[in-house]
Amino acid sequence: MDLMGKFTISASMLLTGFAIVFGVLLLLIFIIWLYGTIVSNAQNKAAQRKADKELRKQKELLSEEKPQPKPVSVVEKQPVVESDGVSDEIVAVISAAVYTMYGSKQKVKIKSIKRRKTQSAWAKAAMLENNQPF
Amino acid sequence: MEILERFWKAIEGIYQGSGLIQLDWRNYVMIAVACVLFYLAIKKQFEPLLLLPIAFGMLLVNLYPAITEAPQTTLMNAAECIKAKGTTEGYATTVINNVTYYNVPHYGGLLYYLYQGVKLGIYPPLIFLGVGAMTDFGPLIANPKSFILGAAAQIGIFITFIGAIFLGFTDAQAGAIGIIGGADGPTAIYVTTKLAPELLGSIAIAAYSYMALVPIIQPPIMKALTTKKERAVVMEQLRPVSKLEKIIFPVIIVVVISILLPDAAPLVGMLMFGNLLKESGVCDRLSKTAQNELMNIITIFLGTTVGATATGANFLSLSTLKIIALGLIAFMMGTACGVLFGKVMYKVTGGKVNPLIGSAGVSAVPMAARVSQRVGQEENPGNFLLMHAMGPNVAGVIGSAVAAGVLMNVLK
Repeated sequence: MDLMGKFTISASMLLTGFAIVFGVLLLLIFIIWLYGTIVSNAQNKAAQRKADKELRKQKELLSEEKPQPKPVSVVEKQPVVESDGVSDEIVAVISAAVYTMYGSKQKVKIKSIKRRKTQSAWAKAAMLENNQPF
Repeated sequence: MEILERFWKAIEGIYQGSGLIQLDWRNYVMIAVACVLFYLAIKKQFEPLLLLPIAFGMLLVNLYPAITEAPQTTLMNAAECIKAKGTTEGYATTVINNVTYYNVPHYGGLLYYLYQGVKLGIYPPLIFLGVGAMTDFGPLIANPKSFILGAAAQIGIFITFIGAIFLGFTDAQAGAIGIIGGADGPTAIYVTTKLAPELLGSIAIAAYSYMALVPIIQPPIMKALTTKKERAVVMEQLRPVSKLEKIIFPVIIVVVISILLPDAAPLVGMLMFGNLLKESGVCDRLSKTAQNELMNIITIFLGTTVGATATGANFLSLSTLKIIALGLIAFMMGTACGVLFGKVMYKVTGGKVNPLIGSAGVSAVPMAARVSQRVGQEENPGNFLLMHAMGPNVAGVIGSAVAAGVLMNVLK
């Protein structure tokens, strides 16, 4: 093969390879983005419908039944002194975790929940757990 | 006296057939190379699952070259056949010029038969089946832009193709050498068996050696091409990916790639089949077999037989040195292109993408992603880039299969 031939085949392969590899992978990006959006929307709507249905059901039940006695909780929820931007859901999750850890025999009071500035041992443990398979 | 004569003849026969007479200096050099690979695999733990079988295959073939010998049939007349085998019964006959010859078979060496799985392109797709069953494409589905980094890292393949052409290789050989830059052993073997089977030993060993050396080759390139600030970027957490998305993904990929690039269908098809076994959740036994037993068996066969292609006569040549040099260039270019595209994404997204994940676009899974994680943590110990790097990493597997499809389609 002469020099010109080498230039020709090199340039044509570089161009073809670059165009096809990027073309196919860009097409895949578009397709994945498209079906990801469609599937997420469909699943969100389905979840929303389910949640609405359950809410309606609960409302109907509440309107039909007499007021229930207040459930006795072992973990007495105290007014959280420092919320520090912690939502009610997080408070509920932490309370549940505390209940799970200490069980029903001990009485535990949650006095305050503070957001830590540094990365906690729990976050590190979770990260390690997620990364472990790799 | 006759006893002594027979004894001496037997000793002489054993001596003549021994390695002391049969082997030449090149075999001894290759035995030394095999020992270096043993050291790297066992002491340094560089891809030991691959390097150890390769090194042992290399050792075996250079100690006993007939282990890869092809089966042959010798035509013998009746007298010769009786002398050699004691009978003519059971042998097929061939008549030439009214003389009947008996077809006496000589069976091939053990590794000849195992090598057929490489030669016929069977092992690489089966390895891909196991890789697919072990791979979580979630990070790629969550961030499909990772495909760009997976594509960028394949540029090294085509740049190396140019280098190989100018070093005097044919276009098919250049394509096979370039694919080393994909950093994917099964893909390199598959493409080489189709385009340049005579270079299989050198290319496979170069590909696997460089894959094993990813933690040494990549970090200096990654650090040279990025700033401290870029390396310290902490990326946002990826969105959760639903099971349905994970199930649809392999089906879509195999349909799109097989229609556009049919030559890549065996590799991508098996990769996605393995992934569907895993993600469907209904074929747990098959998925586990593909990930473990099947993958391990094929790895043993593939490694040993690929190593056995590296005989002294084949391997110790100028073309092998060129292939090893070009392979290194391919690997470095792939890493550099991935990081450079990562930098482009860093600029475009306003600093949200850490360019280090670009180097994972070469498809050495998951080692390249681990290297991104490690280099990122050197700058910021609290930074976890691994899952972000897995996106380009698995995109690189698909990208290198697509590049292989292009090469096979254009050059075969």
